Amino acid sequence: MTGTNDPTNDEMLVETDVSDGLSAAESSVTDDADIVIESEDINVWYGDDHALTDISMEIPENSVTAMIGPSGCGKSTFLRCINRMNDLIDVARVEGNLTLRGKNVYDDDVDPVALRRRVGMVFQKPNPFPKSIYDNVVYGLKIQGIDGDYDQIVEESLKRAALWDEVKDRLHESGLDLSGGQQQRLCIARAIATDPEVLLMDEPASALDPVATSQIEDLVEELAEDYTVVIVTHNMQQAARISDKTAVFLTGGELVEFDDTQKIFENPESQRVEDYITGKFG
Amino acid sequence: MATEQDSSYAQGFGQVSRTAGLIFRYLLLAATMFGIVTLAVLLVYVANDAIQPLTADAGWHLTFFLTLVLPTILVGGALYRRNREALKLGGMVVGALLVSLMFSGGVAIVFIDIIPPLTGFSYAVGLVVAVAGTVLLTKYERQIPFTARVAATGLLFFLSLFGVPGYFHSIPELVQKAPVVPTDWIILTLVLGGVTALVVGQYIARVREDNKAGLAAGASALVLTALGAIVGPLVGIDANALVVVTAVSFVPTAAYAGGSVITREELKPGLVFAATVIVGALVGAVAVDALGFAGPQAWTDWQFLTSSHSGSAENAGLYPAIGGSILLMVTVAALSFPLGVGAAVYLEEYAPDNRFTRFIDVNISNLAGVPSVVYGLLGLGVFVTYLGQATGTVLIGGATLALLILPIVIISSREAIRSVPNDMRQASYGMGATRWQTVRNVVLPEAFPGILTGTILALGRAIGETAPLIMIGAPNVLFNLPTELSSKVSAMPLQVYAWSSLFASEDFYTKAVPAGVVVLLAVLLAMNSIAIVLRNKYESET
Repeated sequence: MTGTNDPTNDEMLVETDVSDGLSAAESSVTDDADIVIESEDINVWYGDDHALTDISMEIPENSVTAMIGPSGCGKSTFLRCINRMNDLIDVARVEGNLTLRGKNVYDDDVDPVALRRRVGMVFQKPNPFPKSIYDNVVYGLKIQGIDGDYDQIVEESLKRAALWDEVKDRLHESGLDLSGGQQQRLCIARAIATDPEVLLMDEPASALDPVATSQIEDLVEELAEDYTVVIVTHNMQQAARISDKTAVFLTGGELVEFDDTQKIFENPESQRVEDYITGKFG
Repeated sequence: MATEQDSSYAQGFGQVSRTAGLIFRYLLLAATMFGIVTLAVLLVYVANDAIQPLTADAGWHLTFFLTLVLPTILVGGALYRRNREALKLGGMVVGALLVSLMFSGGVAIVFIDIIPPLTGFSYAVGLVVAVAGTVLLTKYERQIPFTARVAATGLLFFLSLFGVPGYFHSIPELVQKAPVVPTDWIILTLVLGGVTALVVGQYIARVREDNKAGLAAGASALVLTALGAIVGPLVGIDANALVVVTAVSFVPTAAYAGGSVITREELKPGLVFAATVIVGALVGAVAVDALGFAGPQAWTDWQFLTSSHSGSAENAGLYPAIGGSILLMVTVAALSFPLGVGAAVYLEEYAPDNRFTRFIDVNISNLAGVPSVVYGLLGLGVFVTYLGQATGTVLIGGATLALLILPIVIISSREAIRSVPNDMRQASYGMGATRWQTVRNVVLPEAFPGILTGTILALGRAIGETAPLIMIGAPNVLFNLPTELSSKVSAMPLQVYAWSSLFASEDFYTKAVPAGVVVLLAVLLAMNSIAIVLRNKYESET
C-alpha cells in the first residue's frame, strides 16, 4: 500500500468497484438489530508493544462486519480478542471489556475453550487437517462431544460451504488434495459444522485466486443470513461488496471510524479514512 | 594508470581470481570424504575376512556372474535408460525382501526359541480379547467420560492378561491349560500369519479401493502361509521356520510389490528387475550345487549364526548374542519410546518458557553427549546397588541402554513435533479443542513418522553399545538364549569384544571377530534403511 500520489488506474478501479459493491450489499442492516459482540476500551499489548488502543464497537447479529486497514494496524489482533486466541501467545496482554451476548469473555469464570466452541474461526491460510474431508468436517463435533447423525451434518455443512457437489464422491480422500479455494471452503464447512454463534474470518481469501475469492465472498454473504460474521480484509472492494458495517483501523492500532459500509465508503467523517479509501494513504 | 584502466575496459570485464576459493572447495571435499573412505576401507577389509570370496572356485564366481550379475546389469541398465521409477521400485522390492528376511530371522528367534509358541499364542489370545473389548468401548466414546474409559480399558487388559490369582483365571492361563492345543505351526500361522493377513488385506483394500479385494488378499495370504507349512516338511524345510519367513518376509514383500503396481501401472517393469535378481540368485545356487563348484569358505555362515560360543574359532557362533541383542532392543524400545515421546510432548506443547524449562533444555542436550560408560555406572549404581537387582539381566541392561538413548529420542521427537505446522494447532484451538485434544488428534499423528525415524536411529546407537553392558556385569560369554527379563544377557558387540580381548588369538581375530562385526553391521544397516525409507516416504508426502 505505497504509491499514493499518482492517480493511476488502480484508483479508478477502486472507485468503480466501490459503487458496484454498494448496490449489491444494499444496506440490509436494521438499526434495531441485536448487538452480539460489544467491545469497550479494548487494549492489547505484545510485550511492550501497544498493538490496540481503546477499541470500542458494537457488532450486530446476522450481519457481515468488515475490518479494513493497512498491514500491522491490529485488525487481526482485534479479531483474535473475540475468541481469546491471543491467550495462546505468551507475551500478549488484553485489557478492557468484550462482551458476547452480554457476558464479558475476559471474566475469570470464562473458559476460553468453551468460548471458542461458540465462536468459529477461519484463518488466512487454508489449514485443513491432514485427514479425510469427512474427518475434517466432523473434527469439531468429535472434540466437542456433539452427538448426531454425522453423515447428515457433513452433507449439510459441505452444502452450506458450497463444496458438496465437488467432493461428494471423495469424502474419504485427504483434505490436502483439494485446491486452495476448496480447502478454504472446507475450513468454512469445518467451522460451521458445530453451529457456532459467531464466525470470525481472518482474511479468508487473501491466499486465493480471483475465482476462488469471489466464491468465498458469495459464501460469506449467504452465511450472514444465519451467522454473525466478522471478517478481516485488506481488500477494500471486498469489504464494500460483502459487508454491512465496516470498521477502519489505521496505523497505531486505533479504530478510526466504524459505521455502515455505505457511509464509510461514500461519505466518511474522518479525512484520514477518506484518504485511505481513495488510496491517498496506505 | 589511467591508460591501463582504459585498455582493460576495452578488453572486457577482466578476471577475478578464484584460486583461494578453489583450494578451499577441494579441502572441504577432502574433509567430507575422509571419514567415509577410511571407514569403507576398513569395512572392505573386515568383509573380506568374514566372507573370504576368493576361496570360492572360479566356476562358482562364473556361474553367479552369468546367472545373477550379468542379467541384473542388463535389465537394470535398460530400465535405467527407459523407466527409472520402475527401476527404483525393483530395487525397493529386492531391498524389502532382504531386510524382511533378516527381520524374519529375528522374529523366528523370538517366537520359536525365546517364547514357546504356545505361551506366545496364549498371550496373543488374551491381547485380542482385551483389544476387542477396547474397540467395543470406543463405540460408546461419547457416552462414557474419558477417565472411566481409560480405567475400564486398563482393567480389561489387566484382567485378561493377568487375572486375579485365586479367583479369576487369566486368559493365557486358560489357553495353556486347555485340553487340546494346536501344534506349533498352526499357532504360528494363526498369530503371525493372521497379523500379516490383516495388514496386507487393509493395504490392498486401500490401494484397490475395494474391500472385497482386500478380504481376498488377506485370505490368500493366510492360506499361502498355511500351505507353506504343509508343503515345507515334504521337501525337508522346517514348518515353523517356513511359516515365520512366509508371514514376515514373502507375503509382505509380495503385497508391497503388488500394491505399488496397482497404484501406478507404469511401474510394472520394475518387477521384472526384482524377478531377475531373485530368480538369478536361486538359479545360480541350484547350478553351483549341481555342477559341484565350492562356494567361499565364509566365516559368517549358517553355523556361525546358529551356534553359541566355543573354545575354537571354527565352531564359535553368535546365536545367544543375537537373541540377547533382540531382547535388549525390545526392552529399550518399550522403555525409551514412551518416556522420550512423553518428555518431548511436554517440553514442546505444555512447558512454559521459563528458567526451569531452559534449564531442562540445556541439560538434555548435555546428557546426549555423556559418555556411555557413565550411563553404565548409573545403571550399576541405581539398578544393581540401590534396587538390588541381579547383575547383567535383560531388564537392567535394557533399562541402562534406554537411559542412554533417552536424550536422543527426546531431541529427535521434539524436532518432529516442532515441524508440525503451527496453522494446524491454531485450527484445532480455533475449533474449541483443548490442548490435550490438539496434541492427541493433530500434533502426534503428524509428528509420528518423524518420531519413529528418530527412535529407530537411536535404537541403532543402543544396539552397538558395549561399555554400559560391561559396567552392569553382563556376561562376556553366554551359551544359552536368554528367555526371560531376569535372564543374564549378552549382546553382539559384547561378544565381539570378548572374542578380541578374552579369547585373543590369531584364529579369533581373523575369523570370529570379522564375522561378528559383519552381522552387527548388517543388522544396523537394515534398521537404518528402514528409518531412511520411512523418512523419505513421509517427506515426499508432505
